[in-house]
Amino acid sequence: MAEERPGTWYGFGFCGFGQALGSGRGRQVHSPEPLWTPVAGVDICRVSASWSYTACLTRGGRLELSGSASGAVGGCRDAWASEALLVLLRSRPGPGAELQGWAPGSVLRGEPLWSQTVESEAAGEHGSGGEAGARALPLLPSASAYVSPRPPFCRPLAPGFRARRLELGAEHVLLLDAAGQVFSWGGGRHGQLGHGTLEAELEPRLLEALQGLPMAEVAAGGWHSVCVSETGDLYVWGWNESGQLALPTRGLAEDGKPVGGEATGLPEEGSEVRAAGGEDGAPTPFIAVQPFPALLDLPQGSEAAHASCGSRHTAVVTRKYGQLGHKDTTSLDHPCRVEFFRDKQLPVEAVTCGPWNTYVYTVERRKS
Amino acid sequence: MAEGTRCSGDPLVGAGALGEALRALLPHTKEGLRLDLNEKVERSVVMLLQEAAELFYGGRRTECLQRSEVILDYSWEKLNTGAWRDVDKDWRRVYTFGCLLKAVCLCEAPGDATTVAAALRVCDMGLLMGAAILGNILIRVAAVLQMHLLSGKRPAQGPTLEQPNPKVSGTGLGSHRREWTPACGYPGSFTYAVLSPSCSADEEAGSGAGSHLWRWKARNDQVLAPDVELERTVPRLHCPSLEYFRKHFLVPQRPVILEGITDHWPCMKKWSLEYIQEIAGCRTVPVEIGSRYTDEEWSQTLMTVNEFISKYIINEPKDVGYLAQHQLFDQIPELKQDISIPDYCCLGNGEEEEITINAWFGPQGTVSPLHQDPQQNFLAQVIGRKYIRLYSPQESEALYPHDSHLLHNTSQVDVENPNLEQFPKFAEAPFLSCILSPGEILFIPVKYWHYVRALDLSFSVSFWWS
Repeated sequence: MAEERPGTWYGFGFCGFGQALGSGRGRQVHSPEPLWTPVAGVDICRVSASWSYTACLTRGGRLELSGSASGAVGGCRDAWASEALLVLLRSRPGPGAELQGWAPGSVLRGEPLWSQTVESEAAGEHGSGGEAGARALPLLPSASAYVSPRPPFCRPLAPGFRARRLELGAEHVLLLDAAGQVFSWGGGRHGQLGHGTLEAELEPRLLEALQGLPMAEVAAGGWHSVCVSETGDLYVWGWNESGQLALPTRGLAEDGKPVGGEATGLPEEGSEVRAAGGEDGAPTPFIAVQPFPALLDLPQGSEAAHASCGSRHTAVVTRKYGQLGHKDTTSLDHPCRVEFFRDKQLPVEAVTCGPWNTYVYTVERRKS
Repeated sequence: MAEGTRCSGDPLVGAGALGEALRALLPHTKEGLRLDLNEKVERSVVMLLQEAAELFYGGRRTECLQRSEVILDYSWEKLNTGAWRDVDKDWRRVYTFGCLLKAVCLCEAPGDATTVAAALRVCDMGLLMGAAILGNILIRVAAVLQMHLLSGKRPAQGPTLEQPNPKVSGTGLGSHRREWTPACGYPGSFTYAVLSPSCSADEEAGSGAGSHLWRWKARNDQVLAPDVELERTVPRLHCPSLEYFRKHFLVPQRPVILEGITDHWPCMKKWSLEYIQEIAGCRTVPVEIGSRYTDEEWSQTLMTVNEFISKYIINEPKDVGYLAQHQLFDQIPELKQDISIPDYCCLGNGEEEEITINAWFGPQGTVSPLHQDPQQNFLAQVIGRKYIRLYSPQESEALYPHDSHLLHNTSQVDVENPNLEQFPKFAEAPFLSCILSPGEILFIPVKYWHYVRALDLSFSVSFWWS
């Protein structure tokens, strides 16, 4: 990276266990709040959020946990949080790194559930907040295997995959390779595999619908999938029951709740569903499951830069002004800008979602 | 307190008594609410359950309500992960726990009829998707709520309560009926999910079916004309002995209509639209919308029985709605007293508790496409008539079952309007048919293909046994 500018992480959403969203033990935070850091000026480079706790990793290698699991430890290069397992990649004397699986409740006290030495990635690839894609957990640095929260904890990938990024949904796996191809496998009942059926796939299967379109990023939600192409196009597929695909969903339309325009970024009573049909009043088909990737147009024709998925929501960072297009779990089935960042003129560089919340990395705009 | 028509906003008669009645059903202390859960349920969730119980017994209703919503949302996600039959039972118990607390918290303070109906709907969600806890406490809670809702109300009215409908949507790819598919939440994050286990998803062991039509017909035990025609009617018997049924129909796996069995079932005299509305009107049930479950437009949704009757039976329905394959009698024990389990079920291997009893209630014209089930079936007709066609498992090839795993027990052929260019062998497949009328029970052997169309407003009860 040419120049490392200091940035700030914000969070919003569910924090019922007191995990890092700035405002302590509450239930939800509706408006983005800066993440509290124990030491001022410390730069968090990666956030991995599980449902009841959040792990924040600083550039200095310090891991901070908040929520149902707490504590801090140093010497970490990467972290991945899930309810059943916290996976850490730690530096070790000598070559390689130490991969450790901890029970979240007993992290850093006692012994990990398991640990093994793994090959390390090439020096200099340590990503900043904006480059969270580079070989991050759950993909191992060697890209030859990935961690899973359920046994077997370490799962090899077939040789020949040059995996760049791997994401886990509730019952499926997405993989992005060096050539920009997307593979998926696992459960498919909600169309999350993108092969056009509801059948499961035991082995990685190439997404043929995306062939010829090199992808830059993939993100997996609970039962949906999102990818961003190198040219900034956004594709979505899988379950749309709460509008997480930004496609019209029956449940929201028939609620009788009015929906506002783009002005509100957040779940508010009194927001209107726009989706219920075109100008001519013709009924719009509702989509519960989208089994093939669908190209999603973002407002103002924005291009997508990054994407992350929660359990049932999706967050996208667009290129032009760094706004966040964000759908809330309870009321939006069209992309809605999170106005907070625009109001404060904070360009957004990265986003990562926990199951029920969203963390956003912003950078001060350089004054020209 | 005023009698007469109720509208939302009026406090219910004796609403303080409702809160008391509900609390009386619960354990006296929070220790009594503790669930024993296996290690699949994460520590964070166990903490949350304990916290919710403490809040409840500490009288902090609003906070307890909020926690129960979180419990419901999280366990709902677990219920939607993987195949229904693989969902760990303890997650369903967690879900039920959330329903219990939410329902009781909603009714703690005196509330209006809308609130009580909402609490009842929460109970029904727990009954549909959850698993029994505390001696199946939700049944008792539901009964108390139902009684409070009905007291003072004139019987047999149409739907009077306006509620937002929880919605369930199908996949549009003709999802297999028996595998419930996606649910939509409505705001307030109360959501629900996959419902009853797939009957046909469980695996069959071998072909099972013994000798078939043609071989049996070669013998002259019965007076059945040797048959070269394709269509024949299902034979009828009046109260055969267990042994006779076993020897001539169960063992050789032959369909038969049994008459006289249901003569003393109370349902034959008691059941009517009015009675059903009275007993079950305010209860939430799953309904299938669309002509048949193999259609793209087919979907599933949840609504009260009153809403179902009003929208899909009485008031010039625009769509076909079918309350199909629902274990109504587990949900509403009072209805179970109106039916009996046919004695012939004891000829099977399973226990009586394992017999699955389903209700099938809908208007004229509902269709179940040609399909097979992995258990023996007694289909009892209570109200109205059904046209039924039966094909032996031997004819499976001529019935062109779907390839996909989800629909492999369903034929691709539209029985009463077959595309013979696409499915030529179908034209030559022999079959049995009948019109099943009130008071009759049809024995459908395991894996026997069957197609059903309702000729009238119809209510059937099926017994799946092994």
